[in-house]
Amino acid sequence: MNWPNPPAEHHAIADGRHAHAIDRPGSPEDLASTLAQRVAEGLAIYPRGGGTAMHVGGPPARPGVLVESNRMTRIIDYPAADMTISVEAGITMKALQATLAREGQFLPLDTPESGQATLGGVYATNTWGPRRFGYGRPRDHIIGIRFAKADGTLVKGGGRVVKNVAGYDFPKLLTGSLGTLGVICEITLKVRPKAEDSALVVAAFTSLDALGNTLGALNTSATRPVAIDVLNAPAARHVLAEMAPSSPWVLVLGFEEAKATVSWQVDHIGRELGGADVRVVRGDEAGPVWSALTDFQSTGPGVVKLRVALPPSLLITLLGRIDPADWQVQAHAGTGTLHMQTNAGREMDQTAADLQRLRIACAKGGGHVIVASCPTEAKGPLKVWGDPRPDWALGARVKAALDPAGAMNPGRFFDTMGT
Amino acid sequence: MSVASPASSAARLLADLAAVVGPEGLIHHHDELIVYECDGYVIEKSVPDVVVFPTTTEQVARVVRLCNQHDVPFVPRGAGTSLAGGTLAVGGGVMICLTRMDKIVEINLPDRTAVVEPGLVNVRLTRALAGTGFHYAPDPSSQGACTIGGNVATNSGGPHTLKYGVTVNHVLGVELVLPDGSIVEVGGKVEDPPGYDLIGLVVGNEGTFGIVTKITVGLTRDPESGRTLLGVFDSVDAATQTVSDIIANGIVPAALEMLDTLMIQAVEQAFRFGFPTDAGAVLIIEVDGLEAGMDEQAEAIRKLVLKNGGTVPKAIPWRTRKEPDYVAIWKSRKSAFGAIGRLSPSYCTQDGVVPRTKLPHILREITRIGAKYQIRIGNVFHAGDGNIHPILLFDERDEEEVARVILASHEILEECVNCGGSVTGEHGIGVEKISFMPKLFGPDDLSAMVAIRSAFNPEGRCSPEKMIPGGGGCLERRSPGRHASA
Ligand SMILES: Cc1cc2nc3c(=O)[nH]c(=O)nc-3n(C[C@H](O)[C@H](O)[C@H](O)COP(=O)(O)OP(=O)(O)OC[C@H]3O[C@@H](n4cnc5c(N)ncnc54)[C@H](O)[C@@H]3O)c2cc1C
Ligand SMILES: Cc1cc2nc3c(=O)[nH]c(=O)nc-3n(C[C@H](O)[C@H](O)[C@H](O)COP(=O)(O)OP(=O)(O)OC[C@H]3O[C@@H](n4cnc5c(N)ncnc54)[C@H](O)[C@@H]3O)c2cc1C
Repeated sequence: MNWPNPPAEHHAIADGRHAHAIDRPGSPEDLASTLAQRVAEGLAIYPRGGGTAMHVGGPPARPGVLVESNRMTRIIDYPAADMTISVEAGITMKALQATLAREGQFLPLDTPESGQATLGGVYATNTWGPRRFGYGRPRDHIIGIRFAKADGTLVKGGGRVVKNVAGYDFPKLLTGSLGTLGVICEITLKVRPKAEDSALVVAAFTSLDALGNTLGALNTSATRPVAIDVLNAPAARHVLAEMAPSSPWVLVLGFEEAKATVSWQVDHIGRELGGADVRVVRGDEAGPVWSALTDFQSTGPGVVKLRVALPPSLLITLLGRIDPADWQVQAHAGTGTLHMQTNAGREMDQTAADLQRLRIACAKGGGHVIVASCPTEAKGPLKVWGDPRPDWALGARVKAALDPAGAMNPGRFFDTMGT
Repeated sequence: MSVASPASSAARLLADLAAVVGPEGLIHHHDELIVYECDGYVIEKSVPDVVVFPTTTEQVARVVRLCNQHDVPFVPRGAGTSLAGGTLAVGGGVMICLTRMDKIVEINLPDRTAVVEPGLVNVRLTRALAGTGFHYAPDPSSQGACTIGGNVATNSGGPHTLKYGVTVNHVLGVELVLPDGSIVEVGGKVEDPPGYDLIGLVVGNEGTFGIVTKITVGLTRDPESGRTLLGVFDSVDAATQTVSDIIANGIVPAALEMLDTLMIQAVEQAFRFGFPTDAGAVLIIEVDGLEAGMDEQAEAIRKLVLKNGGTVPKAIPWRTRKEPDYVAIWKSRKSAFGAIGRLSPSYCTQDGVVPRTKLPHILREITRIGAKYQIRIGNVFHAGDGNIHPILLFDERDEEEVARVILASHEILEECVNCGGSVTGEHGIGVEKISFMPKLFGPDDLSAMVAIRSAFNPEGRCSPEKMIPGGGGCLERRSPGRHASA
């Protein structure tokens, strides 16, 4: 089977490749039989949610169909008093959060373009934002899953209770699996009470040394921020716009709790930060800033975008090596994770050299760099998923166990992209 | 097929193993092996042919390779506190006991990680971290005995995992000796390594993926302060209703544990903490966080206790977990199972989970089922998670009573499933609850699980007949080792 000519814009999968058809199943059962049928026709399966991040991963490797989740948006069960919810994966993050908000609850995951992005997409890509430090990763909130395999069977794992060790943990295995093991159709989450109040404290730093000392001290601060973000100057202008101080480094600390507790922390951190130039945004005013911090990964000029992880103690050294003329950097300093993107005008060969240096620096501490976004022709040379890791062979066996036909999202993840 | 006599093949296996771990590193006389015939689940027994005590990863790998060469099954074991028969040496074979690999390899406070060997007893990491401002969050009640390797295999919880998350939320990487004897690093020191979340899969595998020989865990900051309240109630109903109310009110306690009359009396006799022995139930309710706001949280909880007709005779404010009252109340709770010895020669603990709003219902059902089968049942459990631990008291020598215990256990677990819950919140399926898997999962779910197990453990040689019913490569085959010892 060949790639079809571009039939219509909405048939685009990614990287200039188009789908033979778009299937929009309305139920898990419908989804499962669609997969079996398409695979029998010799087609590959490319799941799509809101389509905000279809560029993630290598180019689609062989002809296939898009299978969309946007007709599967039901709230299956929301026993609010149990603080859990079961929903279909095609629901947008915004709709999900709105449902939870009506009960004074929320899912503590930050999502860019949340009006488009689906829960299934967030889980398939393991997407998080600044609050990760305080609340954990997507895997920490999922307690149950149902997914359709390429052979047309529906598989569930976990359950609907907050604590459960029966059977292998499919909810975690599917989280971050980029649609390569199956199409996620239902997810059960544990949710949290929405915090009464929220504040962001923005502090300017003129030197990396001073910033380093502050980050070190935060490790034992009397306050308990839920977010510790560092922005270099161009990223600060991008994220904070006119609120951005004109310093080379900006630290943004997020607090979310009861009003009195937030007040105490804002006061206290002001004192802990000593000389630093500090500004506070609070309550409703903080909302747009939280969003801007979340959206850094999806907005901006970057032709190449990276997701970096390293031990937090190596962060300052790394930041010292990144030229703000070339890169915008948002470091979630508490967890040692960074979102980076090139500034306008950075040439691809320079970017490639930077990436190489970054990877070496991160590998020293067991860290890594993923290319979140780049032009199609650069995906191979830049090695989207980085160099092979010791557990990739085992990962390939897991993939073969659930998708022996190799039908799910071929070419996109580490196992089929080549290295 | 070789025609060597079983005795000589067993002797060769022993000699080969001794060459790896040394004569001090194994036991094989029947009277010594009897200790290893079961773990905390005493209803089923099977004696391994030999128990080895490796001290390095390399030794573990060589032992595993020998098991392959000699075609015998093997099973990992930590401290043997499993309550589900996870360490049962089904079909005999080699038991690989990790208790001599018990070092703390590294503590890295700036990055909030620690690297430990699998045989390290959980509480030793807690002790090593005392005073640093950080702790390792998973704190199973058995933490004074159980190993972190065992915790990883079972994805253990504990009283404080309600707020802080269970073992899987705190493990970053492991070194794993696969069932073919190869050694692989899974995960790492940094979160989200590219590739699948194999750590998510490995934690909770119940020993069916191989042997964990090193673990990198994340550390959690100590709370600045807390309040630990004792709520006293006339009835179990009032206590469980309070639990539901606390959760429904959006309070996230650090711990929320319940004891019923039978357990209060047992614990009080043993530890004399000062629990009211005439109460129908008590709750231990803990909140922690910043001192600013702590009194408000404690007050909100107190009101819910009072609303349900309870009292709060004790409220312990604390800054560190060393306050004498704090230590005493948690010692009483965590040693509760130990106190059962005073009540009954044997006991069997179940581990069901229900949605938290269903706690009043399931506790009533437990009472009904206890009466129906004439089995005394005590309850001491992680109420905030909906994770019940009915403790069924019996005498192992009374076969007829054992049969009733099993029937009663099953009926309780069935009811958990009916409520939309699970049959195990933290102890695992092991051999004990294997017959429940088809009640929780359909054939397609189970065959996907078998496929995953086969990706790690294609021959089913590692920990056969655990967790997933049937369908494992060589599960049915005879064990030469077994024959040798017969
Ligand atoms: C490396 C990386 C780069 C990112 N870049 C951006 C960005 O540039 N812009 C942005 O807004 N967000 C980005 N994100 C965030 C994130 O991907 C989205 O928030 C989320 O995936 C969007 O959901 P969606 O429904 O739009 O997903 P989609 O864009 O529809 O799908 C994203 C990926 O998930 C798979 N997938 C989607 N739904 C399912 C399902 N139900 N089952 C199985 N697989 C499924 C798709 O096949 C695809 O590979 C990025 C995330 C990562 C990890
Ligand atoms: C009094 C008491 C209280 C308890 N309280 C709790 C509690 O609060 N929370 C809780 O979760 N559990 C509790 N348990 C159950 C038990 O302590 C846990 O399951 C614990 O994690 C077992 O650890 P262990 O070292 O004893 O492992 P073992 O019992 O020796 O083994 C348990 C399982 O892990 C496997 N295993 C052990 N080590 C390894 C390894 N290195 N690599 C691979 N597999 C391995 C074994 O094969 C077996 O399947 C309690 C038990 C008792 C007796």
